[in-house]
Amino acid sequence: MKNPDAYPMTHAPADVALEYQVAEEPVRQSFASPRMRGFMLLAPAVTVAVLFSLIPLAYLFQVSLTNDSSFFFTAEYTVNNYLEVANRYRSAILETVYLAGMSSILDLVFGYPFAYILIRKIRYREFVRTMMTFPLFGPLYLAFGLFYILLPNGPLGGLFAGLGINVTKYLFSQGAVLFSMAVFTFPFMVMNIGAALSNVDPMLEEAARTLGAKPWQTFVRVLFPLSWSGIIAGFLMCFGWNLGVFAQPQLLGSPKEQSVISLQMFLKGLVQFNYGLAAALGVVLMVMAFLVTWVSLRFSRGALGA
Amino acid sequence: MTRVQLLDVSKRFGQTLAVDHVNADIADGEFVTLLGPSGCGKTTTLRMVAGLIDPTAGQIQFDGQAVNAVPSHRRNIGLAFQSHALFPHLSVARNIAFGLEVKRTPKVDVQRRVAEMLDMVELSEYGARMPAQLSGGQQQRVALARMLATDPRVLLFDEPLSALDRNLRDSLKYSILDLQRRTKKTAIYVTHDQSEAFAISDRIFVMNDGRIEQSGTQLDIYLRPRTEFVANFVGDNNAIAGEVTALVPGAPGEPSLVDVRAGRMRLRGLNPGNLRVGDKVLAFVRPENIDVLMESRESDEPNLIRGRIAQIVFEGPTVRVIVETDGVAIRATAGGLGRLTLLDQERRDVLLRLQEVTVVRDESAAAA
Amino acid sequence: MATLAGAPVGRERRIFSFTWLWNALAHGYVWAWLGVFALPFLATLAYSLRTPDGVWTLSAYQYVFGSFKENLLLSVQTTIITIILNLLISIPAAYAIVRAPIPGKSFLLSALNLSLYTPAAVMGVSLVIAYAFLFGIPQTMTGLIAAYVVGTFPLMLVPIIVALRDLPLMFEEAARTLGATRMQSFFRIELPLLGPGISAGILLTFVIVFNEFLVTLFIAGPGTTTAALRVYNLTRTAGFQPSTAALATTMQLVSFVVVLLFFRFFGSRYLKGTYLI
Repeated sequence: MKNPDAYPMTHAPADVALEYQVAEEPVRQSFASPRMRGFMLLAPAVTVAVLFSLIPLAYLFQVSLTNDSSFFFTAEYTVNNYLEVANRYRSAILETVYLAGMSSILDLVFGYPFAYILIRKIRYREFVRTMMTFPLFGPLYLAFGLFYILLPNGPLGGLFAGLGINVTKYLFSQGAVLFSMAVFTFPFMVMNIGAALSNVDPMLEEAARTLGAKPWQTFVRVLFPLSWSGIIAGFLMCFGWNLGVFAQPQLLGSPKEQSVISLQMFLKGLVQFNYGLAAALGVVLMVMAFLVTWVSLRFSRGALGA
Repeated sequence: MTRVQLLDVSKRFGQTLAVDHVNADIADGEFVTLLGPSGCGKTTTLRMVAGLIDPTAGQIQFDGQAVNAVPSHRRNIGLAFQSHALFPHLSVARNIAFGLEVKRTPKVDVQRRVAEMLDMVELSEYGARMPAQLSGGQQQRVALARMLATDPRVLLFDEPLSALDRNLRDSLKYSILDLQRRTKKTAIYVTHDQSEAFAISDRIFVMNDGRIEQSGTQLDIYLRPRTEFVANFVGDNNAIAGEVTALVPGAPGEPSLVDVRAGRMRLRGLNPGNLRVGDKVLAFVRPENIDVLMESRESDEPNLIRGRIAQIVFEGPTVRVIVETDGVAIRATAGGLGRLTLLDQERRDVLLRLQEVTVVRDESAAAA
Repeated sequence: MATLAGAPVGRERRIFSFTWLWNALAHGYVWAWLGVFALPFLATLAYSLRTPDGVWTLSAYQYVFGSFKENLLLSVQTTIITIILNLLISIPAAYAIVRAPIPGKSFLLSALNLSLYTPAAVMGVSLVIAYAFLFGIPQTMTGLIAAYVVGTFPLMLVPIIVALRDLPLMFEEAARTLGATRMQSFFRIELPLLGPGISAGILLTFVIVFNEFLVTLFIAGPGTTTAALRVYNLTRTAGFQPSTAALATTMQLVSFVVVLLFFRFFGSRYLKGTYLI
């Protein structure tokens, strides 16, 4: 068969006119250096970030150092708010960290096999990822839906009763809060571990297998070390998101779970108008979230494009 | 139409000097190839001519006018990329029209020009297709049509065939040459493939380490390499280290020669012009320029060397003979029917007749 | 999973069925989780379709297009404005971060992403104080949209950066040597080729802003109650009503349809840099 590419162009009409005039424009000098141009392109983003992220956070810190609402009149600077956080909100902080930690551990334990199966065995990956967007629509709907499920006489009550499970006893319990938190951040864990696993050549597993390693040995000695960065990044990302948990404890939790920092901030700040204390709680939460993110970025080697 | 000159052009990236004081004068309508290994600065040189990067020092001139300050889009050049670089979201016709459209050429003229160009590369039927629907060779032809559509002053080629398979490369390189000949445009072609360079160039610039090692015709480069690098990079070569024993003036109209002693061997080769008696040198002789003579005698004649066949390899059209002489292994290739008589001659003493020997200064010995 | 080497011929069938069982379990595990993801939505849907007396009816949805219509319209409006602003901010910024010779790029990017790492309640409190006592824009639409923009433009920025990094410089160079100015080459060549990345950014912004209730809870005023916030408020004040479930169902359905359309047209490739979905 004749290769259409091998056709030499020597048979092209020889009279093709190539003297073609293109209108000349006057030369315009470029008005800025590449670096200057870069700064100009960044200006809108930087302005927004400074105005609505950096300045409010700095202001939050300032307010956290003032008594009650005194910053509005003559600021009385004090560390009382932080003392109060340390004394009366220690258990709230611990509860927040505990819930975030436990739900992230659940994510890791259940998410690792999920990610592995997703990367190695499943061809309908796009479908799975589409379904995984449901939790992303927000913890509110998630907690909401779960509430209906657990409600006495809920729409699925009959189903669970038929299976001999009394789900209603889990309403307003730590279990329900942890479950809904874990489901919300589950996709983040799967995506992080999945990204790490998809960089592990399946041939390495096969090589380990042919060298006589049992499946669990392959996992411990090959897969786990190679996906370590994804595990850390995923865990910290879930942990960071869950530190700010709000809707799940409020809708599904007992008063103990409802002591989480975000909820307390809302109560102190927007209900009781104790801005100083709310700001101090906010600063504590921010520092925790920021530390987690910082460590996470170190491990994930540039998640979020960095 | 356009003469291209590079005057002392250098480019520094951080600590590395990618292009080191390059001078070149490319005549109007000439087809010049920059040949060299990867990282030798040939692509950087081309991109400076294209205006995609600025030289650190030196001047680039088109027709005697400095173009350093002229941005790429105002230089009116055509550049062919390693991969075709067709815009994937535009049809073939829109790709070809692009250069004219951005210059606000009237629609009628654009359409006429696109039709001409499609006709020229014999893809008239393909105007409405998307680039992804074409084969590799067709894509590269569209790329050529696109670069010619704006009637550029200079054609620049950055290894345009390296992504294609071998058969396609062979036919397309002649297509490129043909287009250049018909349009009579100045062309600069970058490649690491010497067969490509030899096939299409008027003149070859061999580059290494940011410098032009040698420029000249194919014959100059192949038969009269002036540096060790050129001798080694272009074609296969035997290198024999020795010392100049005498300068031999050439007959009138002939180049001058030098005598070289390398152990027991006596060689006579072309003098590059800068050698003195006592200089450490390398003598180069190509395997195909060595005759293997089935004789065994002592010889005082230069370039006639006694040795013993160490290995014979049948390579089909040629036979490769490796001869040991004075501790040095010399490769010779024999062609023609005579090659078959060599096949059973391992361990036999023979005489080698060396022809077209060239001599260059041994830089490593000089440095030591 | 069993070792194949040296297995006697007679055991082949068993090995085969064992692998089959293993695969079935693996797929079953994934499907079980997909069920968990969809279950809260399905429960909400079921609840919205049933009166307390156990009668199945669509009547709860009359509220969605009745008293909730304003909230839904406000949500759509704020989401669209946020998307447009995010585009205007992120496209130039992404271009500068990928292409311009700027020192300290990775630090800059982390700083721009700061708001993404800020817990929503912290952002809410800091903005409510700053809006009230610093900027003088409490409970305004401006403040709401500014909060959405600062909170989500990194989700627009990252996919565009990923897409721009994947886009060879060659296309810009080809356009430039063909005579296009920097602007022409950007708008005619690079912007269209960044389409999938930009769409990913639009998708993420949409999904987050459309369903945002927490920052909104802090800074919204009486006139700026979005649909998601309305869902939250109703659960606090009106108890759990089928009409609330109907609104929540509608919100999730709209979001899911948008996600489906996106995956249908572009796939998931350009969401990779965010690690969210």
